[in-house]
Formats: sequence, C-alpha cells, structure tokens
Amino acid sequence: MLLELNNASRIIKSGGKKITLLDDINLTVEEGEFISLMGPSGSGKSTLLNCIGMLDNFTEGNYQFLDELVEQMKEKQRAKLYKEYIGFVFQAYHLIDELTVYENIETPLLYKSIKSSERKALVGDILDRFNIVGKKDLFPTQLSGGQQQLVGIARALIGKPKLILADEPTGNLNSKQSEEIMQLFSTLNKEGVTIIQATHSETNASYGSRIINLLDGSIVTD
Amino acid sequence: MILNYIKIAFRSLYKNKGYSFLNIFGLAIGITCASFIFLWVEDEMSFNKDFANQENIYYVPTNQNYEGEWRTFYSTPGPLAQDMKSDVPGIKKATRSSLEERLFAVGDNTINRRGRFADEDFLDIFSLKFIEGSRAEAFVNPEAIILTQETAEELFGKNVKALGQVLKMSNKDNYLVTGVIENLPKNISFPFDWVAPFERYRDGAEWMTEYGNNFSDTFVELSPEANFEVVDKQVRNLIATKEENTSDYAFLHAMNDWRLRSKFEGGKIVGGRITYVRLFAIIAFIILIIACINFMNLSTARSEKRANEVGVRKAMGSSRKRLITQFISESLMLAFIAAVCSVLLVAILLPQFNLIIEKDLSLGLTNPMHIFALSAITIICGLFAGLYPAFYLSSFKPVEVLKGIKATQGSALFIRKGLVVGQFVISIVFIIATILVYQQIQHVKNRELGYDKDQLLSMRIDRDFIPKFDLIQQELIRTGSVHNATMCNSEILNGGNNGSGFQWKGGTDTEDILLSFRNITQSFFETTGMKIIEGRGFGSNVDADSTHTLVSQSLAKMMVSENESAIGKIITRGDDVTLEVIGVVEDYVYGDVYASSGDPVLFLHYPQYARYMFIKTKDGVPVDQALSDIEGVLKKHNPAYPFEYTFVDDAFNTRFKNEQLVGELAQLFAILAIFISCLGLFGLAAYTAEQRSKEIGVRKVLGASVTAIVKLLSKDFLKLVGIAIVIAIPIAWWGMNNWLQDYAYRIEINWWVFIIAGVAAILIALATVSFQAIRAAIANPVDSLKTE
Repeated sequence: MLLELNNASRIIKSGGKKITLLDDINLTVEEGEFISLMGPSGSGKSTLLNCIGMLDNFTEGNYQFLDELVEQMKEKQRAKLYKEYIGFVFQAYHLIDELTVYENIETPLLYKSIKSSERKALVGDILDRFNIVGKKDLFPTQLSGGQQQLVGIARALIGKPKLILADEPTGNLNSKQSEEIMQLFSTLNKEGVTIIQATHSETNASYGSRIINLLDGSIVTD
Repeated sequence: MILNYIKIAFRSLYKNKGYSFLNIFGLAIGITCASFIFLWVEDEMSFNKDFANQENIYYVPTNQNYEGEWRTFYSTPGPLAQDMKSDVPGIKKATRSSLEERLFAVGDNTINRRGRFADEDFLDIFSLKFIEGSRAEAFVNPEAIILTQETAEELFGKNVKALGQVLKMSNKDNYLVTGVIENLPKNISFPFDWVAPFERYRDGAEWMTEYGNNFSDTFVELSPEANFEVVDKQVRNLIATKEENTSDYAFLHAMNDWRLRSKFEGGKIVGGRITYVRLFAIIAFIILIIACINFMNLSTARSEKRANEVGVRKAMGSSRKRLITQFISESLMLAFIAAVCSVLLVAILLPQFNLIIEKDLSLGLTNPMHIFALSAITIICGLFAGLYPAFYLSSFKPVEVLKGIKATQGSALFIRKGLVVGQFVISIVFIIATILVYQQIQHVKNRELGYDKDQLLSMRIDRDFIPKFDLIQQELIRTGSVHNATMCNSEILNGGNNGSGFQWKGGTDTEDILLSFRNITQSFFETTGMKIIEGRGFGSNVDADSTHTLVSQSLAKMMVSENESAIGKIITRGDDVTLEVIGVVEDYVYGDVYASSGDPVLFLHYPQYARYMFIKTKDGVPVDQALSDIEGVLKKHNPAYPFEYTFVDDAFNTRFKNEQLVGELAQLFAILAIFISCLGLFGLAAYTAEQRSKEIGVRKVLGASVTAIVKLLSKDFLKLVGIAIVIAIPIAWWGMNNWLQDYAYRIEINWWVFIIAGVAAILIALATVSFQAIRAAIANPVDSLKTE
C-alpha cells in the first residue's frame, strides 16, 4: 500500500462560511496503480491532488503515506517525504523561465543536495530517454507546449519518485501532443511508477487502471 | 546551488533590463553619494592626526568674563607657558606662540608667509622633522629661523641647501636658516610655514612678560603618564595665583578637538564642525536608506512575476530557507554591481566634488579601510534591501500562487506605500532645507554691514611702510583709479585687538565690558564708507588727536542715557589713558557675520599701530586698470614688497564657506534624493500599470477616457505624496528652526517655502507617474484583455 485516506475532508472558511472542498474521502492507493480522477470543474480533483501531494492539508481524517501518518508530521518531515517520493506535473507546465531545459530538470536534484557529477549523469539519462538532448540548452519559451510538458514530466521524474501527481497534464495541449504524453505515462506506469492524474478527458482517463469520479468533493464512483 | 542562484539572478536581471537598471542605478547613486560624504567625513576626522604626541598636546585658551558672560579666547598672558611648565606637574613642554604673516626676501625674491614665533619646546611638541639642520642646534642662535621644505624651495630654489643661508624678514631683520623641516601634513588646523624664536619677536617688550595682557597662544604637551583631569584642574587655578582681581582662567583644549570641537559658549565646548560632520554622516545614511527602499519596493512589486517561480521551486522541494538565501544572494549581487558602478561614478565625479568642497580628496582604493567600508555598505545595503522581499516572496504558498492568485495583497501593499511616503518625506525635507539655507546665506550677504565692502582692497603692511603712507595715499588718489586709502590695525572683517577695564563718568559697572580698538588714519571712515552719525572725525594732526576717540553707537548708548549726547564724555582706563569722545560711528558688523553686531568699538587716531592698508577704488574704473595703477604706486615706494591684496567682499564671501557648503550639499542631496525616489516611483507606477492592465482594458471597453484613466492611476500616488508633505513640513520646520537658532542675524521661516516644496514634490511625482499612466491608458484594450 502506497497511501491511504480515511474519512479525509478539507473544509475551509471563506467569508465566515464553511466551504467543504473534500468531503469524507476514503481511498487506498496501491503501488503501481494508474488512477484517473474525473469530475466537473470544482468537484475537488485539484484539491485532492494537492492534499495527496502535501502542498495542502486535509482538515479532518487520516492520511497515511507509506504507513506514516502525514498529519502528525512536522513541516520539515513532510517536505522531506514529498521531495523523496512525489513528483508533480502541472497543467501550465510551470517551468522556470529563466532556466534552460537542462537546468529546469536539474533543479529538484539541487534541492536534494545531490553531487554535481551524479546530477549530470541523471539529467543526461533522462534527456536521452525523452529524446530532448538537442533541446537541453533552450529556454522554456523557445519550446512548444508539448515539449514543455515533456520537460515538466522529465523534471517530475528526475528524483525517481514512487508517485507522480499530474493535474490536467494535457489540458493545454492538442490531441496529438496529448496522446504522446499519455503514452509516456503508460510506459512509466508499466515501469512501476504510481500515477494519479486529474483529467476531464475520457480518452486520457482510459489510459489508467482505475477511474475515480468526484462530485462536490465526494467520491461518486470508484 | 550558489551557481544556480547566480545564473538565474543574471538571467532575471537581463530579462527585466529596465527594472534592473532602475534598481542598480538608484542604489549606485545612493552609494556614490554616501561615498562622497564618507570621504569628506574621513578627511575631517583625519585632521591633526599625524603628530607623534598628538594625544598629549593641548592648546591653552582662556575664559574671560564680560558682562556676566564667559567668553573664550586663544590669547593668553605671555608668562603663562613658562609658569605652567614650572608650577604644574605633568606638563612636560610648554611654548608661547604667535601666528604672524611676514614678508621674506632673498635677493629680489620676496614672498609673504604665515608662521609662528615660538619657544624651543614648540619644536618638540609638534615633533618637527628636520631635513636640514638638527633639532639640537635649531634654536641656539637667537636670530634663527626654521623653514618648511616648501618655503625653503620657494626662497632659495630647488636642490639648493637652505641651511646656513640668510634671509630678510619684514624688509629689515636678518634671519639665519638653521633648519629645514618636512612639509606639514595637509590636514592640520594650525598650518605654518616657518618657526622663529619668540624672544626676538618680543623684542624686549615688558608687557609681554606680564599677566593682565592676553596676546600669545600657548601650547603644552602633557607627560604620557599625567592625568588630564588633575592637570586641567591645576591649570584652571593657575592665573588666579599669579594675577590679582581677575576671574580669568586658562584650561586645556585637546588637539583631537581643535578641528571639530572648537566652538565655545559660556566657556565650554559646545561643538563646532563636528555638527556638520555628524549631520552629513546622517544624511549619507538617509540617502542609502532611500536607495534601499527603492530596491525593496521594486522587488516586492515585481513579486507577482516571481511568485510563480517560488511556487514551482517549493513544489520541487525547496525549503523556505533556500528561497530566502536565493533572493538575498540576488539582492547582494545587485548591490555588488551597484557598488562597482558607484566606484566608477565616484572616480569620475570626484574632481567636481573636490571643487565644491575645496578639498583634495582621493578615492584611495588601496586603502583597506575604504575597501572594508565599501564592502560593508554593499553587504548591508544588499541585506537590508533584500531581506523584506526575500521573506515576503518566500512566504507564498505554492498552491495559491500556482493557481494564479494575486500575490500582492494587504501588508505588502501597505508597507510599499509606507516606504514611498518615507522617501518623499525625506525629499521634501531636503527641498525645504535647501531653500532655507540659501535664503539665510543671501539674507546675511545682503545685510547692512555699516560699511561698504565693494571695491575695497585690503593688504597687509609692515611697520616700515607706515611713514610712507601719506605720500602713497596722495599718489594713489592722483592715479584717478583710487577713491581713497586708509590704514588700520586690523582687518575690517575681524575682531582685532580688544581690551577691558575702561570707565566713564556716570557709567556703572563698566570695567568688564570688552572694547575693540581700531587704530586708524584720518581717512578711515571716508574710505570704508562707515558713517559718523554724531560729532566729527579725526583731524589731520595725529598728536592733537592723541586724546580723542570716536565710539561706536552701541558704546555711546552704554555711556549715556537716551536723550544725552556722548560727545565730550571722557573715557579712562586706569591713570594712563584719558580719551575724549569727539564722534559717534554707526555700528558695523565685524567678526561673526551672523552675530547681531560686534562688541563696542573705540576708534583711535594711532596710525603707527597699523597693520593693514585699505584702498577704495573709484566707481566705474575697471578692476584691472585700478589694480595696475595701485601696483605701480606701491612698487615705486615700496619695491621690497610683493603686490598682494584681497578684496574685502571676497573675504566676506569666504565667511559663508560652511553655510555655502551646507547649502550646496543640501541642494545636491535634495536633487539626488528626489531623483532616487522618482526612480522608485517610476518603477512602481510601471508595475501598477501592468498589474491593472486588465482593469484598464475593461474600463476602456466600458467607455472610460484616457484622461479618466490617467487620473485613476495617478491619484493613488499623489495621495501618498500628499501624506508625505503633511509629515515632512513639521519635521523640516523643527530642524531648520533649530539650525537657524545658531545665528543671531537670521531669516524668519516663511510659510510659502513649504508650499513651494510641496508643489514641487507633487509636480515631480506627477511627471514621473503620469508617463506610465498615459502609456497604460492609451494601450489598446484588446491586447491587455487577450492575455487572460
């Protein structure tokens, strides 16, 4: 078991009113799964991903990641945990404009304090694998959307995470680029990486092994 | 990691060229300004430091009580030095000394030089370094003179041995050069070009060996182990043990204070130049703060653009600490670039600055102190300016900023506005100060002096000149260029000799009034333009006038009641002086040009004591012609003397040096402070316009006019300037009112000064902001709306 949510909710206050973003979620994710979260806008897909990714917190319930209770951890431990095991892929890619492709991919390694020679080897490998060696000195703005997302995924993968969280990874891409990205996710999943993606597209969802439908913060079907 | 930061910092700088330029340029100007001020401060602090015994050297001024007020003079009784040395334990060396300007001649080569008559101890106290001759033999011969290397070279030529040569002083006395000393350090407050034995100067005068006459300077050196408090206490008691019926007392004034703390009030040190040194140091820091504020403001304003990067980095696993480190190293790098620019700026502008402050400062990049100070300023600025943006930026929550929530809210906005207000407060205070300092200087320059300083030449003369004066005067007038000429024992601007102990009939308690003496010729009032308001001037017969005097109006008022005339009153001093008042002269300003007016004056017809000649040129005669005519006459009758003169109005203007310097620097700093503030405002306006581009687009689509939008964008900034004006006015009023209290003759602060400063600030701010506002307002709304 990779992670488990028991009666997890996220309730925030806004203008004196309580708003329930996630309502009593129970979910178990095993290693090697490829899960697609579906549901209309505002159904809580992104919030769930952010909470699983520890960028946000559940306000109620339990969250266990690799048999550890996340809500009991200190900020530092939590950061250490997600640095080690989780990679993020964003809809808007969120590459750092001032850094080259190579440097963008390298950044997570810097935060893990990995030695320079090792970093070189790791980045080199992944550039090779994604066939973007020729683009390594370009800046994000010089790439197409599909290429940028490729770099984004490469950056998410560089830390060898167990889990990749992808929030609408193909939302800004055309269908051909989308298909390439989903193929890549499939391949990665077969190599053992657990993937949770939020998506609107039935086609993309079909690449996954499990589809979870959300509505108004609750799981409707699993 | 660091490399990564530097890389990203550089690229980010390059990408936002305009913003980087504003930031670096603003800070560079700030550091340049501060560097100039610190160089100046360093120079002021370095005065009198190059003497081996510096810690133990003291001037000995005396406090004297007149009309219930303690006043401090550097002149002391002649025997004081010797008595201090013999009676006060702990005083190792002591010397009398008198600063004099003398004419020197070697063959046809003549120069005027200032120097000191002094006792032998003088050589040890100031550790004079002999190049030729030796300390031991320098003062053995009573006709000896010691010259500085520069003076020796001027008199005898370069690479000529001056030792053993003879020169003529004041066109009559021969002196033997017994030593040549190294030139004195540049920064000393008591420069001299020669030293000669005091005894020959005294020339047998008995009064110079008695208490009761104050005329010579006294310098002492304490033994290193002496306790200052103890010695000073004994020195304070000394005069009372030597002279009866006097409250005068001497005290010690440390060499370290000669330059910066030499203003006495009520017999105590109350400051001096140190006030300006402190003031400017504070200004330097204020300017640095303004520049740093810019930096903070622009960085925070730009935070929205960087918020995304912060979010990504945090999601990638960066800790807050690392982000703080990153942003601070960026601001340090900017500060470093700014420092390099400012070094260049200082190097380029230093000659100009030297002209303003009349000094010869150098960059001194090899001086470790300078490097250290520059590094310290750079690092402190970098940290100070970077800290707030670093903490602010690093506090963003990744989820929020990645979702695209606006990062600029609440506290940051408030702080930014506060900082802009702060900058403008400082700028407005500077503007007001500049105007008021200028007004005060003009006010004093244009004051009624009681004499006419224009077209008036002053020149130093020696005794042998005096018998020839009448002839020279006639010939001068005959040239047609000269209105008249006169002689006096003091320069017209200066205090000259004074004394007390005078009495007059009907007066009360007159002994402790200090009177200045003017020993003049008949033509004095005519030449200087002073007005005799009652009675008559002196006649042509000097002997007949020996018991006559003219008094200044203020003295006349003391002598008689309101409706009585002072004419015919008798003034006495002991048994030997009896003077009949024959005229009253309108008060005139001398000594401190800012004082309400000088001490009362006695004018005496004793041309034999004259030391200065004044020549008034005729109206309408070109200066060059007048000068060459005068030179012709003087060369004919007085060939031994070089033709050296000063214009009294020039000399008068130099009295304002300090104030002028303050005025000019205040102006310079006002301009720079405003400029730097505007750089910041410009940047902020640009970001505001950018940030609100969508709003502007929507408003335009809904039908807003360009003017309405410019108004909308400018309004917020003008509000800030308005607040700044309200805060600045009381501060400026308080500060300048304090400054003006130092001057008895001063301006009233006018309310319109504040209005001018306020309006100026508003106009400048408006010009800065409206450029951006107009640009935003005329942009096509389609572009700004499309990006969303």
